[in-house]
Amino acid sequence: MPAVPLPEFPRWAKFGYRFIVNNFVTLFLVGSMTAVGWELLQLGPDEIMALWRSLQEQPVSSLSAVFLVAFVAALYFMSRPRPVYLVDYACFKPPSTCRVPFATFMEHTRLINSDEKSVQFQTRILERSGLGEETCLPPANHYIPPNPTMEASRAEAQLVIFSAIDDLMKKTGLGPKDIDILVVNCSLFSPTPSLSAMIINKYKLRSNVRSFNLSGMGCSAGLISIDLARDLLQVHPRANALVVSTEIITPNFYAGNQRSMLLPNCLFRMGAAAILLSNRRREAGRAKYRLAHVVRTHKGADDRAYRCIYEEEDAEGHSGISLSKDLMAIAGEALKSNITTMGPLVLPVSEQLLFALNLVGRKLINPEWKPYIPDFEQAFDHFCIHAGGRAVIDQLQKSLQLSAEHVEASRMTLHRFGNTSSSSLWYELNYIESKGRMRRGDWVWQIGFGSGFKCNSAVWKCLRTIKAPVDGPWTECIDRYPVDIPEIVNL
Amino acid sequence: MGVNSDAAAVYGHKLSTVVPGSVSGETVVHELADMDLVMKLHYVRTVYYFQQSETVDGLTIVDLKKPMFRWLTSYYPVTGRIRRTEAGRPLVKCNDCGVRIVEANCCRTLEEWLQVPHSARWRPLVPDKVLGPDLRFSPMVYVQFTKFQCGGMAIGYSWSHVLGDPVAGTNCINLWGQLLAGNPPPKSLLPHSARTPTARPARQPPVSATPLSVKQVEPAGDLWLIADACKMATDSITITESRLKHLQSEKLNSVPAFEMISALFWHCLASVRRGGREPRVVTICRHKPRAKKCAELSNEQMISTVSTSHASPADLDLAELALLVSKQKVDETTLVEESIDGDGGKPDFVVYGANLTFVDMEGVDLSGLDIKGEKPVQVDSVIDGVGDEGAVLVFPQGADAGGGSKGPAAVLILPEDQILKLREVLKREFDMA
Repeated sequence: MPAVPLPEFPRWAKFGYRFIVNNFVTLFLVGSMTAVGWELLQLGPDEIMALWRSLQEQPVSSLSAVFLVAFVAALYFMSRPRPVYLVDYACFKPPSTCRVPFATFMEHTRLINSDEKSVQFQTRILERSGLGEETCLPPANHYIPPNPTMEASRAEAQLVIFSAIDDLMKKTGLGPKDIDILVVNCSLFSPTPSLSAMIINKYKLRSNVRSFNLSGMGCSAGLISIDLARDLLQVHPRANALVVSTEIITPNFYAGNQRSMLLPNCLFRMGAAAILLSNRRREAGRAKYRLAHVVRTHKGADDRAYRCIYEEEDAEGHSGISLSKDLMAIAGEALKSNITTMGPLVLPVSEQLLFALNLVGRKLINPEWKPYIPDFEQAFDHFCIHAGGRAVIDQLQKSLQLSAEHVEASRMTLHRFGNTSSSSLWYELNYIESKGRMRRGDWVWQIGFGSGFKCNSAVWKCLRTIKAPVDGPWTECIDRYPVDIPEIVNL
Repeated sequence: MGVNSDAAAVYGHKLSTVVPGSVSGETVVHELADMDLVMKLHYVRTVYYFQQSETVDGLTIVDLKKPMFRWLTSYYPVTGRIRRTEAGRPLVKCNDCGVRIVEANCCRTLEEWLQVPHSARWRPLVPDKVLGPDLRFSPMVYVQFTKFQCGGMAIGYSWSHVLGDPVAGTNCINLWGQLLAGNPPPKSLLPHSARTPTARPARQPPVSATPLSVKQVEPAGDLWLIADACKMATDSITITESRLKHLQSEKLNSVPAFEMISALFWHCLASVRRGGREPRVVTICRHKPRAKKCAELSNEQMISTVSTSHASPADLDLAELALLVSKQKVDETTLVEESIDGDGGKPDFVVYGANLTFVDMEGVDLSGLDIKGEKPVQVDSVIDGVGDEGAVLVFPQGADAGGGSKGPAAVLILPEDQILKLREVLKREFDMA
């Protein structure tokens, strides 16, 4: 059924409409104050004095009015949540000693995998993956076959996490004793003692630090950690929270031949990010961002969504993560749910009105009207879409009708670093900053997807213009980006 | 102890790959010259033995691998893989695929191991892989680290001759040693400007003269290995300075050491093979002199032949052979290069061992590899894929520091029975052990 498109309006009309609807309250107040002021000016000074005396003669009602206003104002300010500031963050820069070019990956795959078909399948994935020649795997994965011992997994964890935290401490001057809350998320590696204990041990954090270790929550766990830290910062005043997001690759190499489980081998790469959040007033001066909203959507109640990313053993007993064919469709649905909640929080009233009118119209007047997709570029200046794979980014670009520039950070992060799971959003943010595009007042939308199936969003407001060059994983290579990523790479 | 038990003493092999630290670029190729393709069925295998010391003990595999990334950024063509043009000519695609690293252990001490006969000693310590059957995924260089029971270490280095001659091969690994010691990489080194494809005129093999120094073999296809090669054994004989001087006396003063030694072995092998296939033609192979730290990857051999019309070279005495070798070489280098068809890179040749071959290993800097200042106590260097006639590699400075007896060393690559008989002849006629 061909959808009926909305008529095209001239630019001035669109601009006028948006201006009036978005600033409606302001315009109303300004208008009322002007009218009242005009009225007062019409009155002579005697009449103004008379008005004043009449107020004085009714002290109770005047004072009540004043107290009421004061009371409402106080209630309003007290019920506002504590602002949560992102002071700074640091991403792990993988060393060149961990580099895995395409050719090496393919050669190892052929040597490890006896099944010709699965080798060809992985070749096809890699050719179309959108990854570059500089992505990194941990040292254990450079062996034929990979050598995933517990010791190697811990070594990788220590390398990536401590590196990121050291960088963060250097940038912010944060000391170990200043950390009140510690949240670590790593989905697939969960040793005892936990990774959060590992951090506490290494940096000698205080004995009353509130530590949390989230495991098994997938690639969107980074924003879950941010959400948890935010909630804790509402309860604990004058506190610093250190959030560490990572995924440890070493123990998760899939050694079998089932196609649905081969994708993670091809796409997942080393990465980690450490983020410092704070609710201390004095950090407002130097903080980079303020956390405005976090919206979490969980589709786990639906069986299809629950099983679409599923860790299990294949017929030969090899453990791996199976991705179902419905993945993109489920991701689309989860995104829609998330946007439905997110929209009213962030979209300007003009867009919400249009969306509402379109919805009503489609329900009551003509179901063939094209559904109105709110223009999120009105609400946000920058987008960080989880670099889960080329297909994910393509799908989101289409669904949200984003320009190529808006998804550039995601594509380039996928190319340079691969899919680093929960930390990819931070590499993308760092890309935008390194390009010198982050200005004070800009709004950033981070979208993460992960097993569950979950779609989580975070909205940040930039508090100060960030000048390039920025110290971080992009420092040495930012001048080479953006690169043109071919549809199919010739291996 | 049999060969099998020697090989079994090395165990616990772990394979991994090391790649260049920086991206070499998209669609970068390293063209293979005609001489490179002539040498493609040969491989240089070298084993460096290091004694136990604090330095050697303190090195983990991570320490050993770390400088390799910088090393391979300079020598990125060695990390590539063979591809073919549409016409079928092999070239190297510089795709950063990497160098294969093998880690192993040996249940004997270094001292015990050095007692093992030459032939059985080096083989288990260096990968004996060849290019193919899947050329696209065959590494051209291997490095094996074997730890001995006592803490000593052997570094096995396998180099595909198609990349370059032994001079180039040793210069390559020596750079790794320098980077390991913490020296900064020399500025004037590569990036090796990868040779760009040049239009090559299609050539017919010259009808007039076919080179004597090489033997055309059955097409190797995608497995670059000499078919049906009889099993070659190896041995190393040091010729002391005094013994050499003695040989060079009486009207042979003008004959340089290499020619003298070549003549010596020619004579002895001729008598060993008397009645059978006596070597009437021998091939002499020398490397063009190059700057010590030159990083050029190429095969800069000068190949010549020396022939005698005499029916049985065993009847000629040493002096006559020496003069033949020094004065009557026929340079066939250009002839050999022209034998390769421009487009297809065919046919396939054997150079070492087509005739009895003497290779002058002057310029091959075996002592140039050190581990943070520690020099190897011994180096075994041989060529694999030698044809039936055998080869002798003459090293000007025997790295076999066998208790004070210094002098050139000859590494023999011959069938096992011939080596035994050769030793007998040397003892009998020249009083050389």
